[in-house]
Amino acid sequence: MRFFNNNIIAIAIFALLAVTTTSCFKEEPLNAECDIEKAWLHVDDVDAMFYSATDTLINVISTEDKIIFNLRDGADITALAPQFAITAGATITPASGSAHDFSQGPVTYTVTSEDGKWSRKYTVQCNRVSHYVVAEMNFDFEHFEMDPVFNKFYIWHNTLPDGSLGNDWASGNEGFKLSMSNAKPDEYPTTVLMQGYDGHGVLLTTRSTGMLGKMSKKPIAAGNMFLGKFDISKAMTKTMEATEFGVPISAKPLRFSGYYQYSPASPFIDKNFVEYPNRVDAGDIYSVLYLNHDADGNPVVLYGDNVLSSDLIVAVARVKNVGETHGEWIHYDIEYQYLKEFDYTIMEQRGYNFTVVFSSSIEGATFEGAIGSTLKVDKVRVTCETKE
Amino acid sequence: MLNAWATGLTEKAEATDIEHNKSSFVCQNLKNFFHNFESYGRLGYSIGGTAPMGMPAEIRKLNKFILQPNVSFGVDGLKPVSERMGVLVGIHFENKAMHIDASVKNYHMQITQGGQTLEGMFTGKNDSHAVQWTFTIPIQAVYKFNDRWKLKVGPYFSYLTSCNFDGFAYDGYLRVDDPTGAKVLLGSTEEERGNYDFKDEIRKCQWGLGVGVDYFFTRKFGVYADLNWGLSGFFKGSFKTLDQTLFPIYGTIGIAYKIK
Repeated sequence: MRFFNNNIIAIAIFALLAVTTTSCFKEEPLNAECDIEKAWLHVDDVDAMFYSATDTLINVISTEDKIIFNLRDGADITALAPQFAITAGATITPASGSAHDFSQGPVTYTVTSEDGKWSRKYTVQCNRVSHYVVAEMNFDFEHFEMDPVFNKFYIWHNTLPDGSLGNDWASGNEGFKLSMSNAKPDEYPTTVLMQGYDGHGVLLTTRSTGMLGKMSKKPIAAGNMFLGKFDISKAMTKTMEATEFGVPISAKPLRFSGYYQYSPASPFIDKNFVEYPNRVDAGDIYSVLYLNHDADGNPVVLYGDNVLSSDLIVAVARVKNVGETHGEWIHYDIEYQYLKEFDYTIMEQRGYNFTVVFSSSIEGATFEGAIGSTLKVDKVRVTCETKE
Repeated sequence: MLNAWATGLTEKAEATDIEHNKSSFVCQNLKNFFHNFESYGRLGYSIGGTAPMGMPAEIRKLNKFILQPNVSFGVDGLKPVSERMGVLVGIHFENKAMHIDASVKNYHMQITQGGQTLEGMFTGKNDSHAVQWTFTIPIQAVYKFNDRWKLKVGPYFSYLTSCNFDGFAYDGYLRVDDPTGAKVLLGSTEEERGNYDFKDEIRKCQWGLGVGVDYFFTRKFGVYADLNWGLSGFFKGSFKTLDQTLFPIYGTIGIAYKIK
């Protein structure tokens, strides 16, 4: 008896071919990304050009397309040659290291991906920062617009001492968008309050993040707003580090005041959706001044998990017990508690970061709170002492 | 009277006879049908996966392929229609499960849960786990080379009695919407990764094409090897998470016993 038949062998070879041709791995596709990941300025005399050596390097967040170098007031910015670290394989024009006259305004760079299919435009700006004497910082929340990238949620601008608009207010709205892409602007955790204490205010609401949020154990998003940056890259992993608190300040804050309303919702839940009938949600309102460099001179940003506990904190003002206000506006006016002596030399080197933080759920950073708790804020004032 | 009774009896007897003839006709046909009918019992183990036809370049590497409890058992009936050819119909109960870990680069994903959609390009690792317990009916043309070797080809139809498809994207990052969008890092713990569950998106009725060989080393005992290639997508048409349609492709090896 013939053990093998030719036909069977033919079929076996055919089947083997079919499996191998469909399952083998193809050549690696070229990179499709086109980011500036880092930007730095190399200058001969760093101290003459910059307030701090660490201002020469900027780590660019993936969502940012404006890169701003802050230089000394009198710095010569007519021939600066910024250098860039970009996605592997991508190209940049004008070239990294080419000199430009930044006194004529920002320079636009275009990065094109290795596969040639994608490109991003970045503007690089060299700001000469002058120290304004500020007696009071006013935050009235009247300058807001839809975010220019997605047109999905609100962003706010602060008024800078020279009257121009800054981008110092941040919120976690962009993170919320990951799980709730269909939400309308007023369904976001941080949105505009049409009738604030005076004009517009900010409405912060603890929201459900839906099925997608639940699946990654982040079932709620507290309404939050703060002076600083939101780094969405950490929204899934180091969530506490997504909120980068603080912007440089050139004044010594003394008093923190403003108006709020709070209404806690129930039930209070944790990240596993376990209900706690005896816990009542609360809001959080505070302001922190801290040293933005550690003892070794490394730049430091405080995050959600250390903004109230870091050794680098210089002063804190925190509203106690932000609880139910029954629809009334509550006025607060608190003195900053100084834990370290304020040093004007450090201030002049832009060595202090300052933040104001609002949250509709005090434990929102760890995804605990009650869906529907609302915090309304408006008319925030920071009274400062200025050196003569 | 007696005569009449007798006649009646005869009529009855004749009628019974006709009935008897009829049933014996059916019996005879059945006998004819079954006289060379063969039946087999099978017990096997399947290995394979639910995969796209033609590997997209975005799938870079298979990191892990974890064997699953993919038992398959059932019975087949084989009716020879000529000296060499026959028709096989069977019923099998089987599990086509898979657990793989793969690395992808710039892989398009669109996840919809509760009416909300997250779309983007993922670069990193992906761990997928699929389970499909199915009743499968193969209908195959059989060619007997000899008493030992048989080749089987034909379609199969499956109904999934229980199924699951879940997993997570991890140790990488998602570019939201497209490669220029926000970059969101994914870690490796349950809270840091992108978990998914597409159980409700699986097609319950599936079909495909089967090819197999039987080799009997004794009159009663043999071994078999089957390849079952799904031709209906694993997920429903409305499923948009992946760009490629996934097809269950499983090979089964096992022992066969000739019952009759």
